[in-house]
Amino acid sequence: MLNIGKSLEDLTLTVTLEGRLDTTTASQLEEELRDSLPNVTKLVLDMSKLEYISSAGLRVLLSAQKVMNTQGEMKLLHVNDVVMEIFEVTGFTDILTIE
Amino acid sequence: MKKRGVFFRGVQRKTVALVLALMLAMLALFAVVSMYRTRTLTRIVGETRTAQQESITRISEDTMHSALESSLVNITTLQAKLADQNFTELGDNVRMLQSLARKIFENRDSLEPAPFSLPDPAMDGVPTVQVLCEEGVDYASSEYLGIAAHMSDTLLALFQSSDKIDGCYIGLADGTHLGADDQSRNRYDEQGNRIPFAVRERPWYVGAAETGDLFFSGIERDAFSGDLYVFCSAPVTVDGELFGVVGMDIRLNDLGSFVSSASRQSMIYIINRDTQVILCSEEGRIFSGKDTDMSLILKDLGSGEITDFAESALRLPTPLESLALGGREYYLTGAPMPSVGWAVIIAVDKELIEQPTLQMLAEYDSINDVASREFAEGTSKMNKSVLMLVIMFLLYSTFAAIVAAGRIVRPIEEMTRSIRRSSETGELFEMRDIYRTNDEIQILAESFDDLSKKTRKYIEDITDITREKERIGTELELASKIQSDMLPNIFPPFPYRTDMNIFASMEPAKEVGGDFYDFFLLDEDHLGLVMADVSGKGVPAALFMMISKILVQNYALTGRSPREVLEAVNQQICKNNREEMFITVWLGILDLKTGRMTASNAGHEYPVLCRSGGKFELVRDKHGFVIGGMDGARYTNYEMELQKGSRLFVYTDGVPEATNAAGELFGTERMIAALNSRESGTPEEYLRTVRMAINDFVGDAPQFDDITMLCLEYIGPEKPVREITVPAVVDSIPEVTDFVNAELEAVGCPMKAQIQIDVAIDEVFSNIANYAYGAGTGEATVRFETMDAPKSVRLTFIDTGVAYNPLEAPDPDVTLAADERQMGGLGVYLVKKTMDDVSYEHVDGRNILRITKNI
Repeated sequence: MLNIGKSLEDLTLTVTLEGRLDTTTASQLEEELRDSLPNVTKLVLDMSKLEYISSAGLRVLLSAQKVMNTQGEMKLLHVNDVVMEIFEVTGFTDILTIE
Repeated sequence: MKKRGVFFRGVQRKTVALVLALMLAMLALFAVVSMYRTRTLTRIVGETRTAQQESITRISEDTMHSALESSLVNITTLQAKLADQNFTELGDNVRMLQSLARKIFENRDSLEPAPFSLPDPAMDGVPTVQVLCEEGVDYASSEYLGIAAHMSDTLLALFQSSDKIDGCYIGLADGTHLGADDQSRNRYDEQGNRIPFAVRERPWYVGAAETGDLFFSGIERDAFSGDLYVFCSAPVTVDGELFGVVGMDIRLNDLGSFVSSASRQSMIYIINRDTQVILCSEEGRIFSGKDTDMSLILKDLGSGEITDFAESALRLPTPLESLALGGREYYLTGAPMPSVGWAVIIAVDKELIEQPTLQMLAEYDSINDVASREFAEGTSKMNKSVLMLVIMFLLYSTFAAIVAAGRIVRPIEEMTRSIRRSSETGELFEMRDIYRTNDEIQILAESFDDLSKKTRKYIEDITDITREKERIGTELELASKIQSDMLPNIFPPFPYRTDMNIFASMEPAKEVGGDFYDFFLLDEDHLGLVMADVSGKGVPAALFMMISKILVQNYALTGRSPREVLEAVNQQICKNNREEMFITVWLGILDLKTGRMTASNAGHEYPVLCRSGGKFELVRDKHGFVIGGMDGARYTNYEMELQKGSRLFVYTDGVPEATNAAGELFGTERMIAALNSRESGTPEEYLRTVRMAINDFVGDAPQFDDITMLCLEYIGPEKPVREITVPAVVDSIPEVTDFVNAELEAVGCPMKAQIQIDVAIDEVFSNIANYAYGAGTGEATVRFETMDAPKSVRLTFIDTGVAYNPLEAPDPDVTLAADERQMGGLGVYLVKKTMDDVSYEHVDGRNILRITKNI
């Protein structure tokens, strides 16, 4: 289960993720971002409520990062230990901007 | 190819050397002999020369001596006779005159005085009868002269009868003289006065008057002419009264020339009866005995030897005698002159006689010298020729030896090349014409030919045998493969089962062995274990083992107890066991739920049991008789309790009876010690430990017996297996996750591990859902298990889709930048990283992926 919260402020899109970003839910986030991203220069992903992330979720994050690399910046907030470990193992800590 | 010598090598060089050595030895011998011969010859020539010279000297001396003797003696005798003949005639004439005169004077009284006259100088040169008288005698008054004048005709006739007669006369006792003569002028001096003639003082007158008989004077000089004469006279006595002396004288000029004809080296002497030399030739001079000085020779004649010789010559002709005269050697010979009592002696200088000999010797020497020189030159030339011949001979024999040795060696060399070639290329050594030398080389070549053929044949045989052996070997290998394939050899054998762990190994000593192990599930809860050893080895044992294995398993599968199984198998084996083979079997049936094991032992080794937390120990069970040994043999069952973690180790006698080089047995104690050396481990690790202990013990000694081992680890019945089978679609993931989470919570799994496991489920199951069945559909089962030591959970994902091992995919490069990143493989990578163990296998058409997480 994944709950996605969005708030757009000027050109900054803040997305709040709650639940699990896995195979079944990754497509939800992918759709949301596909709709919203074209008009933002900054994407903030609040992961404080995200329980875990699988490779499907990583794939979505990578796509978003690639888009934002061309039109602004992307930032991850409040990454928990489990997710952080996954980022570290997969080398995503070097790709993503995690605060 | 060995390095070739400068010219020759091997047999050729040796042959040449041998021939040369022989030649040199022969030549050395030849040289020594020829040198010896030459020296001997030279010596003989020298000796012969000396001997010849001596012989020549002697023979020529002898010859000369005898020739000289005969001739000289003859000449001397003849000369003496000739000389004497003159005197004999003279004497006869004088005797005739004596007789005539005596008759006239006997008749003097009856005779008228006959006329006589003085020498008429005008009649000089005309023989006339002249009157001479002593000084102071008046010839006219002489009584005797007129009587004697009757002899005038006789005197004149005698005078004219011979040239030798120089005077024929009669001296009268009254001092007058009547004689026939052709010289008248010299009777007068320059004044025309008559020169007196001392008639009665003349030697011939005195001599005849004194001797009263025929008297020969010595050699006298004529009173007027000075020529040499010999006077012969005889007295005329009538009745004892001497009336006068008749006489004749002969000129000795002939004798003188004979004497003076002697050369310097030969001299003629005439000696008188007093051995005085009266005539002698010396340097052409003639000496008269009485009125000449004594010569040196005369003096010599006076010496003893010559005097003796002279006296003998007066008597008889002497043989040749050699005497020294005046410091020179002479040959002397002499002969008497009986009429006058003189002797002729001829002396010849020895040198003269020997001169021819000496000349001959000198000639001979010079000839000899020339001959010697020629001989020496000839010898030298001969030596040179011989040397040349020797050198040519040496050169020729060296050349001949080289050629001959070459001929001998060439076939051998050719043979060596051929043999070397044949050994390199495997070509057959072939007999060729070059080897047909009718000697040892041919024999050698034939032997090689024969050997080569035999070797070829032998190699072919060996090849055949090897091929056959390889075929048999291959078949045996196949048999061995089949045999080992017959035994369960995939480990783990029951991947699904977690209640026990088995590992077994068999190492046959030969290609196929008689040992076997076996294990099989009789049903879900019962496991059969077999360890057996067939008597003997090789193919028969292997065949017997096959039957036994099948029989044991088949009977066991019928649900019989081990005892019953063994009895039934024994019954079957004994039915047709003509070969009287037998087998030891240990059979155990384990109830996997309870750990109770029922076993029976048909003469096999004691099993070894390690109870949980304890040590490995022998289980000294009750043995039955071997299977196949006796029909109707009975066996007994016994039971063992296996707890969780118990380990059972069964083996064949190859293990305890493994032997080291010293002949020591490995033994069960070392085996148990090896097992106990481990604290824990899988059955495979235990077997490896035992195997290594055996290896360390045995060292390089060969393996005599099959080594077969089996180890069972009993884990015991696990908790009831929790699993869920769902359609293999992505939508099933939450259901699986919920199922697993519930189980994890039941075992008190930490949150973080649970989340990691959830992520892993998402990754693995999404893979199965997306790929396993392609476009079609299927199911997937997820089993949940918990394990102790270490405490862990295991998830097993099973699907029947396309065989795919996700673990084989390469790990993604996690260092790349975002734009370069590919998403493939990241999920599996994540699982590998977060889980403690991930394994995959494809069994019976099923993909089985296990993930284990320690909690």
